Amino acid sequence: MADATTAIWAPRSAWAGILHEGHIGLAGSTSITIAARDGLGIASLIAPAAGEAALAEAVKAAFGLDLPATPAIARAGHHAAVWAGPGQWLLLAETRSGFSDALQALSGVAAVAEQSSGRAALRLSGPRIRDALAKGCMLDLHPVAFPVGMAALTSIAHIGVHLWRAQDCPEGAVFEIMVARSFAGSFWSWLSASVAEFGCDIVASGASIGRG
Amino acid sequence: MRITCPYCGARDAQEFGYLGDANPQRPDGMDATEAAMHDYVHLRDNPAGRHRELWYHGAGCHAWLVVTRDTRTHAIEAVEVARKTKAGAAA
Amino acid sequence: MSTQASNKQPCRLGSGGVIDRTQTRSFRFDGKRYEGYAGDTLASALLANGIRLVGRSFKYHRPRGILSAGPEEPNALVELRAGARREPNTRATVAELYHGLEARSQNRWPSLAFDLLSVNGLVSPALVAGFYYKTFMWPASFWEKLYEPLIRRAAGLGRAAGHEDPDHYEKAFAFCDLLVIGGGPAGLSAALAAGRSGARVILCDEDFRLGGRLLTEKREIDARAGSEWIADALAELASMPDVTIMPRSTVYGVYDHGIYGVVERVSDHLPVPSAHQPRQRAWRINARRAILAAGAIERPIVFAGNDTPGVMLAGAVRAYLNRYGVLPGRQAVVFTTGDDGWATARDLAAAGASVSAIVDPRREIDSALTLLAGKIGARVITGVVASASGGRALRSITVREASGREHSIPCDLLAVSNGWNPTLHLTSHQNTRPVWDESIHAFVPDALPAGLAVAGSAAGRLSLAQALEDGARLGAEAASACGFTPRAEMQPPKTDPESLGLSPVWRVKGGKGKAFVDFQNDVTDGDIELAAREGFKPVEHLKRYTTLGMATDQGKTSNIAGLAIMAEQTAKTIPQTGTTIFRPPYTPVAIGALAGHHRARDFRPTRLSPTHDWSREQGAVFVEAGPWLRAQYYPRPGESDWLTTVNREVRAVRSTVGICDVSTLGKIDIQGADAAEFLERVYINGWKALPVGKARYGLMLREDGFVMDDGTTSRLSETHFLMTTTTANAGKVMQHLEFCHQVLWPDLDVAMVSVSEQWAQASIAGPKARAVLQGVVDPQHDLSNEAFPYLAARAVTVGGGLPARLFRISFSGELAYELAVPAEQGEAMMRALMAAGAEHGITPYGTEALGVMRIEKGHVAGNELSGQTTARDLGLGKMMSSKKDYVGRLMAKRAALVEADRPIFVGFRPVNRSERLRAGAHFIGIGKAATMENDEGYMTSVAYSPHLGHWMGLGLLRNGQARIGERVRAFDPVRNGDIEVEICNPVFLDPEGARLHG
Repeated sequence: MADATTAIWAPRSAWAGILHEGHIGLAGSTSITIAARDGLGIASLIAPAAGEAALAEAVKAAFGLDLPATPAIARAGHHAAVWAGPGQWLLLAETRSGFSDALQALSGVAAVAEQSSGRAALRLSGPRIRDALAKGCMLDLHPVAFPVGMAALTSIAHIGVHLWRAQDCPEGAVFEIMVARSFAGSFWSWLSASVAEFGCDIVASGASIGRG
Repeated sequence: MRITCPYCGARDAQEFGYLGDANPQRPDGMDATEAAMHDYVHLRDNPAGRHRELWYHGAGCHAWLVVTRDTRTHAIEAVEVARKTKAGAAA
Repeated sequence: MSTQASNKQPCRLGSGGVIDRTQTRSFRFDGKRYEGYAGDTLASALLANGIRLVGRSFKYHRPRGILSAGPEEPNALVELRAGARREPNTRATVAELYHGLEARSQNRWPSLAFDLLSVNGLVSPALVAGFYYKTFMWPASFWEKLYEPLIRRAAGLGRAAGHEDPDHYEKAFAFCDLLVIGGGPAGLSAALAAGRSGARVILCDEDFRLGGRLLTEKREIDARAGSEWIADALAELASMPDVTIMPRSTVYGVYDHGIYGVVERVSDHLPVPSAHQPRQRAWRINARRAILAAGAIERPIVFAGNDTPGVMLAGAVRAYLNRYGVLPGRQAVVFTTGDDGWATARDLAAAGASVSAIVDPRREIDSALTLLAGKIGARVITGVVASASGGRALRSITVREASGREHSIPCDLLAVSNGWNPTLHLTSHQNTRPVWDESIHAFVPDALPAGLAVAGSAAGRLSLAQALEDGARLGAEAASACGFTPRAEMQPPKTDPESLGLSPVWRVKGGKGKAFVDFQNDVTDGDIELAAREGFKPVEHLKRYTTLGMATDQGKTSNIAGLAIMAEQTAKTIPQTGTTIFRPPYTPVAIGALAGHHRARDFRPTRLSPTHDWSREQGAVFVEAGPWLRAQYYPRPGESDWLTTVNREVRAVRSTVGICDVSTLGKIDIQGADAAEFLERVYINGWKALPVGKARYGLMLREDGFVMDDGTTSRLSETHFLMTTTTANAGKVMQHLEFCHQVLWPDLDVAMVSVSEQWAQASIAGPKARAVLQGVVDPQHDLSNEAFPYLAARAVTVGGGLPARLFRISFSGELAYELAVPAEQGEAMMRALMAAGAEHGITPYGTEALGVMRIEKGHVAGNELSGQTTARDLGLGKMMSSKKDYVGRLMAKRAALVEADRPIFVGFRPVNRSERLRAGAHFIGIGKAATMENDEGYMTSVAYSPHLGHWMGLGLLRNGQARIGERVRAFDPVRNGDIEVEICNPVFLDPEGARLHG
């Protein structure tokens, strides 16, 4: 692939023109940090009728992942699998490189559909992140009800979201959240309004899936 | 209201869409009489009390559910997965 | 304590209360400047300044003052703030004083002291109960022109701001084991008991300061001042990480399954919200258990002139004295029917007021109380207050002794006590009624919403000791129910003694002047008698006929007196007369709070195509299409109207090539061994024979036989299909397919997932479309007509190996393709296509041009897929397979749906080709009257065809297909259109499809 061509076809982040690095909201305070999660490999996997066990085996063999049977995220190496409905998962990869080829390992054991381009993902952290999410998320995100590793499909501000608690840091919980790409602007309108009272830094992406 | 999705857990009713009576079974369109299909499409009981009804977890896991609810008190007795109960109401 | 007549706040006590005398708050009332203190309400600050006349009443424009010290206030309603933030009907008794507060009295003209419309009081016989129904019935035309403007001028409660609200509002969701409603002694005890066990507790109080009645009473707990007990409780609760205290938060509604509606007034106590803070936040609290500890509301007594400013509830007098350090009057009389009122006499005297008399109708009075009266020099009168007079300020009362002898006592304050009603409103939000408790002469909660318990006064257990005991016990019970282990029983705290004897008097007859039951709606005892005489006796009729309890205060101080008078009129008891059920909200809730973030542009989410920014760069005008914004047309400099632009775009496509974003179409990936079988069952046409690498147009019905949606579906492999849906129906179709799969045919091995967001898709249409694509698609893909014929659908690569999909499908009737690439490369695709097409003058086109071209080709779209059309109506009946079952098959064959006379899809052109067609015009036979009987259908879509040089239309006309060549009227009364049109084939252009296959 020629460099010039590559340049023309450079991907555009779902957050381009929406998310800008810097500080928003209450001045002099940062109780929340937001980072875009660009460049993930994402594919939906649906097990065929009576084929969940075979799919689980294939995923284990190809990625070392145990498909979660309940709404949760499982991680191994540079990959993760998030429950996405009965018999359905999202397979996540840190990078795109080799992702489409890796998916070939699952052809025949799952209905595979690549979704890497169709999701806009964010990593949300900080001591007040739960308070900000409470302004739209109808789930109880208290650690007794939503511990590390738990995932959920729900809606925030009338926008479908897929979220999980990636980690608990001394500075508070870390959540990762994905919305459909076309909703990125509207979701940001809600999120930026909701974090403003706490003060929020928007930083460059970098951390790996589900880790600090 | 809150509905306990068998997959996702207790969720706000805002996450669900409502269809109605879960009991009618779709007749086979090649064999059924027009009258039978008419009953299936249009005729519904409207009980004051226990009612098995179809809900769709559209803002969650996309599962169709059969919810047994008391229409007078909104008390929910059971939530089952439609796929496993062969509910069969009208499209 | 003693009165210290400061010049600035003449009625402020020198000490006492939980106000901060070091923090002055200046404010304006009716334009005049006053001062109060931090911790005041507007009402307490007004009283501190000697202001007693606060507003005029709703109907009679009677002068009104301050009756209460809480949310039940029916009289002291003001307009708070100015300009866009002006808020009418704010209760001065709960409006927290802030620096710069601005309030105006309402419902007076031209001024509060001199109100011209108080003449309503003189013509009051015309304004009695039911006056709306009687006086203004006839003639009908007078209503709009005369009566309504008159009533709006005369009656009313303040003015809305009339500007957009400049503030932000939020919604929020919370979860807890226990929600405690009310932060008085019962609520604090409950929160402590549950919090100590480790339960997650939220405590809401509508007040800005916690403590409830304990703030307003001189009471002792464990031999310490009540205020110290409150401080200790709050400190302990603050130390518990899973306990949240929410002041300024009203629980306004109880909903199913432990959901509570709460409005938090985040910034109402500030001139404007702090940076990044909302004005209010509407919470939806999910609680496993809840305890209502909302206290009780004191009841007035109905007697003549009982609305005179200076007549106040006895408990409110104590609140102003003890909480706010305000002396509401210097020469007081107490009118009480129970022991409780005597405490007001005691506290008034202690604050330095002269209490000239205590009027109590009871013959037996506790000797401790009479001793107290002697000590403070108050005369004890066994009798009632028959009337109060003074107009704008109380000057005297007339006392009627047991003997019937009446005499007058001068005074400027009358404290009235008639027992307390439990604040049980929330307990009836799930449709349960309270029951009458004879021991306290009040309604008390009976059946309760699941998970809710009631503590203290709200349960009718009115003593402080009971409040503390209930709270501790129920708090521990709630914690246990949620799986926590409460600490071992602690001895309930000891309280000083209190006496609660009561023998209520609902009204005193025979006084001179009007006696009010419902102050806010100006309902008198006479109105209730009238309702009884006219047969409106059941409580629901009484309420609607007289408007009793229907004002914004929802009858918090008036309902019981109203019921009591009706009971007396009908010789029944109060419980026999019944009570109405309270519904949410407990107190008014601003619509803004319920809307939260979702207003204006954020009313609902907007979806943007992956090529949106590119289209904006190209100067597109966007149009809403469902939740999407789509490029409607791309005006160029010098184009003065949209039609010029659209004509240019259409001509460019038909003569060379254009590109259009179609990313918004729904795309559903369908895989599995039974995928083809599944499509057979949801579409009317056949799918099993569709070869791999081919697309086909499909039409799906609802089960009732009407068309649901259409689109092309491609077979990517034996077991893999890609379905497209219309933009508007994408979500609906997905839900429908999941229903068909999960509910109707769970045995089919098929999996489906939306890939709408993954792919950006563009239509490339026009004679040069292939040439353009050859510059974008990698060269190893043969795009010749032979290798890639009409309806081919295949994976290709672009840009040297990037994955893409190419479909040869056409909505415009031209040689056309749809190219799909991952969404993040959508913009790149548009730029690559523009670059490759530059030499052909490639032109971006929008939904308008798309619409023109599909009408030229007679393709149906959203206007025709209206939910009222069948496949046959749309001329697509031939697609309906007879060899298989599919959704809607049988019902589509119903006799009425196959009548020859049904409106059928055809084309139309104006007989006079220069005339414009209008969508929505109805078809009427030529020479026939434009009546419903002669209606033969309507025009669904119209467009100007630059190709034909005239307007063309599509529509549904009775038996239309058989009438091609005839003429009808297109009658459009909305836009004064009435023209003759020719019925024609709906395909206006290239009916043979030569262009398509080129």
